[in-house]
Amino acid sequence: MEAWRSHVRAALTHRDYRQKDPFSGLFTKVSRLEEMLSLHMDVWEDLERSRTQSPNKNCNAQLRSPSEEKNPSKIYLQLKEEEQVRRKLAQKVSDLTSELYLKEAELQYCHSQVSRYRSEAVLLARGSCCLKNQLSEYEYQLECQSKELAVLQLEQRTLREELTITRQQKEELLERWLEEKREEAERINKHNAALER
Amino acid sequence: MTPSAGGNTPRRLGVLRIRRNACSGKPEHIICVTWRAAIMADDKDVLRDVWFGRIPACFTLYPDEVTEREAEPFYLLLPRVSYLTLVTDKVKKHFLKVVKAEDVEEMWFEYEGTPLKWHYPIGVLFDLHASNTALPWSITVHFKHFPDRDLLRCSSNAVIEAHFMSTIKEADAFKHKGQVINDMQKKDHKQLWMGLQNDKFDQFWAMNRKLMEYPTEEGGFRYVPFRIYQTLSDRPFIQKLFRPVSSEGHALTLGDLLKEMVPAAICQDDDPKKYQVVIHGIEPLFETPIQWLSEHLSHPDNFLHICIVPAPSD
Repeated sequence: MEAWRSHVRAALTHRDYRQKDPFSGLFTKVSRLEEMLSLHMDVWEDLERSRTQSPNKNCNAQLRSPSEEKNPSKIYLQLKEEEQVRRKLAQKVSDLTSELYLKEAELQYCHSQVSRYRSEAVLLARGSCCLKNQLSEYEYQLECQSKELAVLQLEQRTLREELTITRQQKEELLERWLEEKREEAERINKHNAALER
Repeated sequence: MTPSAGGNTPRRLGVLRIRRNACSGKPEHIICVTWRAAIMADDKDVLRDVWFGRIPACFTLYPDEVTEREAEPFYLLLPRVSYLTLVTDKVKKHFLKVVKAEDVEEMWFEYEGTPLKWHYPIGVLFDLHASNTALPWSITVHFKHFPDRDLLRCSSNAVIEAHFMSTIKEADAFKHKGQVINDMQKKDHKQLWMGLQNDKFDQFWAMNRKLMEYPTEEGGFRYVPFRIYQTLSDRPFIQKLFRPVSSEGHALTLGDLLKEMVPAAICQDDDPKKYQVVIHGIEPLFETPIQWLSEHLSHPDNFLHICIVPAPSD
């Protein structure tokens, strides 16, 4: 991995180690406690209100069950707490459902990517196969041409040797012809000189 | 860019298509360029770390505010990539319990006398004003004397949404001449916003990855959307056109960008370090390619926010 990339990753981890991690748990706990406190305050206010508003409190008390009579505020608080938990769970379910949809969409995207890569791989494999065939064809042609070249080179060498011999022969013949002509010219000259005399 | 794909380097694949030549019957190889920028698995962690960056903050009510009883401070972990007014509903609720109703105007925040601009991401505000101070970050809450000369008013979340969407559009104008964001549907825009508002990484990135794609043959965006903030400057920020790839075709780096925009931020070899170049609370190396930074360390508004702050003396 490149140095700059690993530096960014390490620096981000270190940043969270300094800024986020030491406070995260504490802040979450405080927030949860504040939520509970707010709930308890609401319950307390509700109970206070109902206590001051209902004049026939004693009459209602007769209708309550023995356990409720013992500690109605505790049961009311429990009810409120459970309602809150239910609300949170409902929210969680809704969040998870939407996350599920997202994951499904992402999965679909990944599947499409996979099929795209697969078709690309098939095309590349076919291409590679064609190229291999071409390569072997070219290799065969190259081999043939190399052999042909060797034969031609041999032929050329032979021809060159023959050419050298022929050139020598030509030189000899030329010399002989020149000699002959020279002798002929001398003979003619002699003959002409004799005639003139 | 997809946060899900793997590999060692961002893959820029051409598709090799084999076609038979009608005359010769021999295959022709055609490289077709596709729009793709895949991200390695490790880089997905970078995106997550950026998204889930948090700053612990302690909100205290300004002492001059009239209260019915003593106001307790309020502690909150602030998401670096979000906006102050978007995540402080609980803070408002907390302090409204003690502030007299007739004294309540629009809530605003201040740090050591500096009003905090809600339209800057929280991480930028922290890096710019308080990066070298003790945590938790101490923010003062006001309900009176709104500083109209320093801050924009934010009456509702719709204002934040409008600001966020306009910034994203601006960034896409730099990157793709606005083609990608304009091709998206309204529900896609909503998904980006809801992702940020509800702190849903997957929801946001499912859509944002489209904004991070670029044509393979260009090697990056048209221009990199960036903003450079300086504490010791009268300008709010520097924003200019900057290409991620040089005319010779090599990738430009953070150092190249700073050399062009703020040369003073780069210290000479033997000089003591005067400034820190901070992005998301870290100091990336100057040789980091600017295209990679834009893809991975941009805020959800798709801008790369770079803070230049004086280096601590100790």
